[in-house]
Amino acid sequence: MRGIELDVNGDRLETAAPDHWTLLEVLRYKLGLTGSKQGCDKGDCGACTVLVDGQPVLSCLTLAAQAVGKEITTVEGLRPMHLQSGGVGADPIQDAFDRCGALQCGFCQPGMMLSARALVAANASPSREEIQKALSGNLCRCTGYTQILEAVETAIAERVGAEAPRPAWVEDREHVREGELEARTPAKEAK
Amino acid sequence: MAARDIHGPEAPWKEFQVVGKSHRKIDGMAKATGEAVYADDIQLPGMLHAKTLRSPHAHAKIVSIDTSRALALKGVHAVITGADLPIKYGVIPWTPDETALATDRVRFIGDEVAAVAAIDEDTANAALELIDVEYEVLHAYFDPREALERSEPTIHESRKNNNVSKHVELEFGDVDGAAETADLVVKGEYQFHGSTHGAIEPHCAVAKVSPEGVLTLWSATQISHYVHRALARVLEWEPQKIRVIQPCIGGAFGGKSDPFSLEFCVAKLAEITGRPVKMLWTREEVFYAHRGRHPMQLAYRTSATKDGKITGVDAKILIDGGSYSSFGLVTTYYSGQLLTGPYDFPSYRFNSTRVFTNKPPCGPKRGHGSVQPRFAFECQLDEVAEQLGIDPIEIRRKNFHGEHTQTVNGQRITSSGYMECLDKVERGSAWRERHRQLPTGQGLGVAGSMYISGTNYPIYPNEMPQAGIQLKADRSGLVTVFSGANDIGQGSNSVVRYIVAEELGMDPTDVRVLAADSDLCPVDLGAYSSRVTFMVGNAAVDAARKLRAKLVAAVAEHWEVEEKRVRLIMGRAIDLEDTEKVLSTREAIQLAEAKFDTLGSTGAYNTPTLGGDYRGGTIGASPAYSFTAHIVEAHVDEETGRITVPKVWCAHDCGRALNPRLVAGQIEGSVYMGIAEALMEDHKVNRFGLHSGPSLLDYRMPTAIDTPDIETYIVESVDPEGPYGAKEAGEGPLHSAIPALANAIHDAVGIRLRELPFTPAKVLAALAEKRMSEGAAAGGAAAKAMAKKETH
Amino acid sequence: MLRLPKFRLEEPTDVAGAVALMSEHGEDAMIVAGGTDLYPNMKHGLFEPKVVVSLGRIAEMRGIEALADGGLRIGATTTLAEMAQSALVQERAPALAQAASLVAGPQLRTMGTAGGNVMLDTRCQWYNQTHFWRKSLGYCLKKDGTVCHVVAGGRKCVAAASNDTAPTLMTLNASATFANDEGSRDVKIDEMWKADGIWNKEPGRGEILTSLHIPAQSKGHRGAYGKLRDRGSIDYPLFGCAVRLDLDSEGVVEDADVVCVALVARPLRIKKVAETLRGKKVGTESFAEAAKEAADLADTQAKPMDNIPGESLYRRQMVPVYVRRTLQAAAEGKGPVHHV
Repeated sequence: MRGIELDVNGDRLETAAPDHWTLLEVLRYKLGLTGSKQGCDKGDCGACTVLVDGQPVLSCLTLAAQAVGKEITTVEGLRPMHLQSGGVGADPIQDAFDRCGALQCGFCQPGMMLSARALVAANASPSREEIQKALSGNLCRCTGYTQILEAVETAIAERVGAEAPRPAWVEDREHVREGELEARTPAKEAK
Repeated sequence: MAARDIHGPEAPWKEFQVVGKSHRKIDGMAKATGEAVYADDIQLPGMLHAKTLRSPHAHAKIVSIDTSRALALKGVHAVITGADLPIKYGVIPWTPDETALATDRVRFIGDEVAAVAAIDEDTANAALELIDVEYEVLHAYFDPREALERSEPTIHESRKNNNVSKHVELEFGDVDGAAETADLVVKGEYQFHGSTHGAIEPHCAVAKVSPEGVLTLWSATQISHYVHRALARVLEWEPQKIRVIQPCIGGAFGGKSDPFSLEFCVAKLAEITGRPVKMLWTREEVFYAHRGRHPMQLAYRTSATKDGKITGVDAKILIDGGSYSSFGLVTTYYSGQLLTGPYDFPSYRFNSTRVFTNKPPCGPKRGHGSVQPRFAFECQLDEVAEQLGIDPIEIRRKNFHGEHTQTVNGQRITSSGYMECLDKVERGSAWRERHRQLPTGQGLGVAGSMYISGTNYPIYPNEMPQAGIQLKADRSGLVTVFSGANDIGQGSNSVVRYIVAEELGMDPTDVRVLAADSDLCPVDLGAYSSRVTFMVGNAAVDAARKLRAKLVAAVAEHWEVEEKRVRLIMGRAIDLEDTEKVLSTREAIQLAEAKFDTLGSTGAYNTPTLGGDYRGGTIGASPAYSFTAHIVEAHVDEETGRITVPKVWCAHDCGRALNPRLVAGQIEGSVYMGIAEALMEDHKVNRFGLHSGPSLLDYRMPTAIDTPDIETYIVESVDPEGPYGAKEAGEGPLHSAIPALANAIHDAVGIRLRELPFTPAKVLAALAEKRMSEGAAAGGAAAKAMAKKETH
Repeated sequence: MLRLPKFRLEEPTDVAGAVALMSEHGEDAMIVAGGTDLYPNMKHGLFEPKVVVSLGRIAEMRGIEALADGGLRIGATTTLAEMAQSALVQERAPALAQAASLVAGPQLRTMGTAGGNVMLDTRCQWYNQTHFWRKSLGYCLKKDGTVCHVVAGGRKCVAAASNDTAPTLMTLNASATFANDEGSRDVKIDEMWKADGIWNKEPGRGEILTSLHIPAQSKGHRGAYGKLRDRGSIDYPLFGCAVRLDLDSEGVVEDADVVCVALVARPLRIKKVAETLRGKKVGTESFAEAAKEAADLADTQAKPMDNIPGESLYRRQMVPVYVRRTLQAAAEGKGPVHHV
């Protein structure tokens, strides 16, 4: 057991943990920051991704002690830091993920959003291929990645005031006015 | 009875205000900020950590277990074995063949044998090493054929002379006669492999027992109610002393729809120790829990007239069930019962046998039981079209069963938007300009499918509602919905919010939902068989209409006008004939609370009587069916055999999209999962019966790079019985992705792959075989060019 | 979740300190840099060191240095991401940058290091599993057991070298500097391998790789890396091949080298590649023919086994395809060769 000081989301937090505890375990079970998730035990899924000095790393393969002296950002830090820097609501990445439906079960998304965050910090206008690559260490099982990519592209577009992507179903449904949809009961069909 | 009311698909107030729009999810922001609490996020004071000892043998008798050394380890608080939890259970009440921990026999490598509760996981793990188990190893079955043919030893003692888990044979019409008189008969044998759910959240459960004697279980389950029942049975507790809570859940897909060993173990350990106990499974343990897609060996014979009308379908299916029954009884029926749409054929027979093997147990994975036969049949249909020179989309149109009809096996079809689905993907993919006309190595394939929106088979027979909703409204202006449904990320809590807000004319954010807590919420049967939107949605409409009547009555009385003049809309009550009269929803609620006392209402849903009048006729009988069409574009590298899928077009008839964005998300997730299991995933054991790679490294789930671009179309046929006409969207859109891919591969390089998964090695083997049969001189590319020319 | 076994962490701040710790603790100690190989292996119970010596706080071990002679010195704890993105590495050792860019996934590349990839433990489907799994199996030759499950009756471990960067370093004629309690020594990457899957390196487990040296390449240097894997990310190689071509000013091959990985315990150089390609001008039919011949050489010399996941027969079919395609990519100044 050793005492450690971790710089997490702008705060310096004191705790103690045995040397063999990972950063993920300390964040979740010592500091109560349970937003970072555990999916695969050993670096295969990306759910535990946090930013260390701005870079996406897997907290399940990082010892807590090895993170001392580095700036750690977890999903819990995004909204407060956005507010602190004069923003409104949640971080634009979080907001876009929510609006685009990218959060189904939500379990992989803290890690996914931090990977996305690191990407947009390094590259203001990544191509779709670059986004896919940057997120390719984060497995998602719900979305087929479609609405995730849309969310990242939306956040990027909105930052520069450009038009957000519009999926095919949106265009397609514009021809449907709700009032025109009618139940096709047997009687109506017979008419 | 109110529970059986059908509310009809119309908007409550002429035009929809909430439904049909892409609102945010109720829990989206909680998930985005990391606030949402999942099972492993729960930490209770004094909580112990539990671990499971598992069988290293695929099939063995337990001769003895000695836990004394483990119990003696400092920090260990309890050790339990099968003797502590001997009562059998199973999600299907007719086939209880599981125990929380093995009592006398282990049936696969990874089967649960003992559990330890200790001060931390390290200590619990150390204690596992100190449990001494003596086994007598038995012959193990890894091949379902062997399990079918050999009867000694039996995997379950309850089966006296065989290893058959379930056999179903049903025939409708004259199948053999149809084959005799047909212009064309196509036969084929297909193999569908195993795959698993791969939810990113591993299973986790936490239990505590209060001094008053109430057991509370938090579990990552999609079937709280069946877990509740199973706990009562196995622990021999009265159900009212048990509270089951489903926290936020990190994906399920059918993989969390059985009661699992860990739920009983934490409960028992909490009872013994008087302390809260948590068990979190490792990823490896999740692979052993499995309950994934059943491997099936399928033989099909399809008969057709020369103009492409299907006259008969004959299927023989061998199902590899793994070590326990799970949902296997239903799987066996579903493997046949769900194939009888969207096409009409006058004769049909299926003969399905599920056998036990010494592998992790199979169960329901997204598209339970029907993905495998759908693959085989849609490939057959493609061959029929090819041999008759009919366009593959045309042959599907030609055989469409229509709307408001009955299938050959007696299932009632209401709405069907299948034809629009075909139209949309045909147009979207530019099928007419591209099918059979792309360069060699590239191809398009089409397939269609049908799936249930819940079934009227309630797992255990009872007359009570299948879904329930309770509403509370008070003078603050807040409406709280108590929903029994398990939101597994699909958005059921969001859907009930939209419905209640629609009915009460409220801002959706003023409707909060509390769900899946057995102390607070009415019973719902769970998130399986794509039943939630349909059934819980109808229950929500039911409850909200009762509350709405009270609000309207109170406002009308206050204004001294007729009730029909009152409309609730956008957080206000208005008088349709007097624009001066406006009240906020809060004021309307206060008037109603004054008039009727404390406000609440309940709503429920039960299916109408459905299904064929024969044994098993209700299994797969659904109040409404969803329909899907896929077109897949496949590129095949003929040198490496690698298949890439640049794009998939999927159109799905969900009745009405209560939230189109959530529907699109379900469709896209389904398409991804179908292509994933077709190309990459393979859940199998090696020659020792060990899982071939129980990790997210070796079990290859596609990344963002590997997933096709998905173009989604939402078709809204507005079902007469769904809530506002809605049907399911979460499982149907997986099915036809797989045969559409197979058919696209045929279009690309002229091979028919009948064995899944479509690995590059299989592609190369099939290409080599094709070259052989064509003769060395012709060469693959030339032959394909010829074939394309001929079909013009 | 899977837990790490208990150990004490040491974080020396200079190489001398690390050497002293390794010397003090001997076989009880292990070295860790990025942790992306060692920690999963420890979670699987493959290693249980009493002391783990982290190189993470040794500033002198990190960074990419352009040498005046046109060569490169890469500190051992330079991350794979830094190496992949470095314009210097891309220019002077393109195959290395390509290989680094294809190791695992993005997070693992921001953690994993240049030295760590060279020192990667060999891999096998019977070995890279949990303790429960291996115990149920009855263990294997590489760890805790006596039986090889890859080769019936096999006496020598055939776990596969699976480091993407190692073959590129070999084609680049690179060397590694190791620090030990006797000082430091340089070892040619070419000469550091043994045909033993249990420990496939000539340097001992206690020696610390401190930096890589890549000598200046020829004026007409071309390099590329080809990687076979199932997914477009995360996965270890099912087969990998590094290519070097030295072209004269006319684009005629003067020298060539192909080294493959994910086969047996050590990376494998394909023999007679230079003879086959020499004198062929890139972009011509004769180069294409020679590339095919070189691929055939690889086909006869490189024989994938059932050690790592993936059907060995299929991997074998891919050997000539990937070698030829990678040669072609190198000739065109392209790469990496990868299915996405």
